[in-house]
Amino acid sequence: MSFVYLKLFVADVLPYIAGIIFIIGTLNRIINWAKSPVALKIPTTCGQQKTLPFIRRTWEDRFDSPYTMLETIGRMILEVFLFRSLFRNTRYWLDKQRGVDTRWLWLFALAFHYSLLIIVLRHLRFFTNPIPGFLSWINVLDGQVAVVPPLYITGILALVALFWLWARRVLCSRERNISYPADHLILALVAGILITGNLMRYIFKVDLYAVKEVALGIVSFHPVSAAVVNQIGWIFFVHLTLVCVTIAYLPFSKVMHFAGVFFSPTRNMPNDNRAHIHINPWNPPYHGITWEEYYQMYKDQLDEIAENGYKVKPEV
Amino acid sequence: MVEVERNGEYVKVEQRFTSWKDLLKPITEKDFKPGFYHYPILKRDAEELGIPYRDWDPLEPDWHLPEGWKETFLNKFKELLEKHRQFKVFMDICVRCGACADKCHYYLGTGDPKNMPVARAELLRSIYRRYFTKAGKIFGKWAGARELTEDVIKELYYYLYQCSLCRRCSAFCPYGIDTADIVWRGREMLQSIGTVQRFMYISIAACARTGNHLGLLPGGMAGSLRNAAEDIYDITGVEIEVPINKKGADILFVAPSGDYFATPHWFALMGYLMLFHELEERYGFTYTWSTYAGEGGNFGTFASYELAQKLNHKIYEAAEKLGVKWILGGECGHMWRDKHQFMATMNYPLPKTLEDPVNPITGTYFENAAEAKIVHIAEFVADLIEHKKLKLDKSRNDHWKVTFHDSCNPARGMGLYEEPRYVIKNVCNYFYEMPEHTIREKTYCCGSGGGLLTDEVMELRMRGGMARAMAVRHVHKKYGVNFLCAICAIDKAAFPHLFEFWKIPVEVGGMMELVGNALILSDEEQERELDLRGNPLPGKGGEE
Repeated sequence: MSFVYLKLFVADVLPYIAGIIFIIGTLNRIINWAKSPVALKIPTTCGQQKTLPFIRRTWEDRFDSPYTMLETIGRMILEVFLFRSLFRNTRYWLDKQRGVDTRWLWLFALAFHYSLLIIVLRHLRFFTNPIPGFLSWINVLDGQVAVVPPLYITGILALVALFWLWARRVLCSRERNISYPADHLILALVAGILITGNLMRYIFKVDLYAVKEVALGIVSFHPVSAAVVNQIGWIFFVHLTLVCVTIAYLPFSKVMHFAGVFFSPTRNMPNDNRAHIHINPWNPPYHGITWEEYYQMYKDQLDEIAENGYKVKPEV
Repeated sequence: MVEVERNGEYVKVEQRFTSWKDLLKPITEKDFKPGFYHYPILKRDAEELGIPYRDWDPLEPDWHLPEGWKETFLNKFKELLEKHRQFKVFMDICVRCGACADKCHYYLGTGDPKNMPVARAELLRSIYRRYFTKAGKIFGKWAGARELTEDVIKELYYYLYQCSLCRRCSAFCPYGIDTADIVWRGREMLQSIGTVQRFMYISIAACARTGNHLGLLPGGMAGSLRNAAEDIYDITGVEIEVPINKKGADILFVAPSGDYFATPHWFALMGYLMLFHELEERYGFTYTWSTYAGEGGNFGTFASYELAQKLNHKIYEAAEKLGVKWILGGECGHMWRDKHQFMATMNYPLPKTLEDPVNPITGTYFENAAEAKIVHIAEFVADLIEHKKLKLDKSRNDHWKVTFHDSCNPARGMGLYEEPRYVIKNVCNYFYEMPEHTIREKTYCCGSGGGLLTDEVMELRMRGGMARAMAVRHVHKKYGVNFLCAICAIDKAAFPHLFEFWKIPVEVGGMMELVGNALILSDEEQERELDLRGNPLPGKGGEE
């Protein structure tokens, strides 16, 4: 018995199911966020505000406490591409009662995310024909370690960074305490994808022409035939299944932080609160004591202040 | 377990880590520790503020939650999700990376894993997942969700009032998740079922009624200002008239009400009065205090949006009724989160009578306050000093070796870092910074903000202030620092206790106290021999 129907399902149907769940799920989340108004402008100001001309404001302050739209975009770019806030990371040594820089988390998080990005870009060569020039360049740059076939640095780096991040969750008591099954699940899925991918490239090699045919078939809506899938080894289907499951799971997982970071008002709003008033669409009217009511409540004492000419003087 | 030295004695910080399952398991009244839980709201305050009231005791097993509490709570949750985008986003996007964990001073001081900012937010997120997401409904605790039970309410009550809304964790979070915002929303939900603490609601009710947190009546506030003027007379020999409720002045001045009574706030109050008097004498500056808006601070910002608005509205109404051009605000911490980020939004549109905030003495246009029309005293004084409008004698502060504590809210909620430093360096000769990890956007809280300035949680406050206290001890040992300058009324109330607890011989005071000391009044006839505290000035009499 061959698994041809299963293989056909994974190659021809599953990617579409995953894609549809991902797109609808993600849009759903984003629209859901966007439906709620931003009531208050609450940037976290991590640098000097713009005030008087003689008050020093460095370029870092401009991005950590942005005043203009441009500076705010700058802050978002630094946050999204360089993980600015994580770069601030410190650790408090309770026994010495002091904090020290600990940027390991930043370094490995950056390595992990960028490796994944480059891996995704590398995969685009399966989905394009002819392959755009910049994709070939990525392959060349990533494959600088000269073995046959060239070792992709990012494929290994992503795995190393992932296991570092995972080890942190398992070995450090503090992080273990806050790691839910969901946190391990997503790491397991990505680890599975990376491991099967690396195995496929270096050990259980598959027919890349057939793989490309499958990939092109997916993007051009031309399902491949049984003859094509039969040329490809089983590991490819494990890899593709894991990828599809992960993609379908993303909208329901914490991975939505990739979209959420753009919606975070502590980062995406300028610190110009007093210069430009933010308007809250549901701002309720004031319920409380008015000036006149207050006067009636404390008439005697207020009149006494008035009799003294609205001022107090020391009794000397 | 770690022991932190406290003058020969040791304070134990026990860190216990369990598993994620315990993160979802609520603690109950049996686990409440004295010194960590708050007393419940008083009947009178609840009635005045329209909060459901019942008689209950946090240490009793039955909290007598009102009928239909679960529905009320969840409806409030839903309403807040629909009203606040950031709340929805913050419920969804946390990856539990742990970057925030040891950034919280309460976590550092108590070692309690539920005091990690991420765990504090998870208190609410777990409920959110259970009732507002599909995964949580289906997979329950395996998706990090939990049922809303009476025990969960107890846990929320315990931990949501162990946060001072300082936003230190938000500065380190890669997505900027603002725990202060989450806690604020959580407290709003607890308020809907009347399960709230006592201290801050006393102040909120008092402020809603009288115009200041202390509940001073107009005569009391006037008397307080008179006493300050008398103290100034005793030290400088200058008679100062203090305008109150005076229509037609240029500027309305608002300060936190702690300044009317407490020490060392008092010396900062003297500083304000001396500064304004000098400006009046030399430049014809006019200003007024208001008894209706006698409070700069806003404890409503710890409780709910509506209560925050209830208090900060009065400032604009007073400004309109008094016909002032703009508003000047005194030294206060959360006041400036409110004044900078909330007040104008909550009271939009503003009264038309307000004019551009231009310093009448220097002509400087405070562009950054163009629309909200409220300027911080440090911005104002820095501008005066830069234009050389004040006669200052720095040497009068030579007995102080000063360090500056960035109060949480002016720092991370406003970006006021350089102005106070500029002023301090211009009025003091000896200024030293605390270690880099404890100042500016990384500043540690005093441990008593966010509605926690109450005696029943003293142990929490002393532990929460540990990180800050250690930094002060460091500069005290290294440079001989003996004066901590803070521009926050809660700091000034909290630090003296904190330093007594941790045995650090450092005085606490405001920026305006240092300005008042250095300021040479034009109509001052004799040479001043005492500082505002009545201590002999360096080189003038006393022990020398």
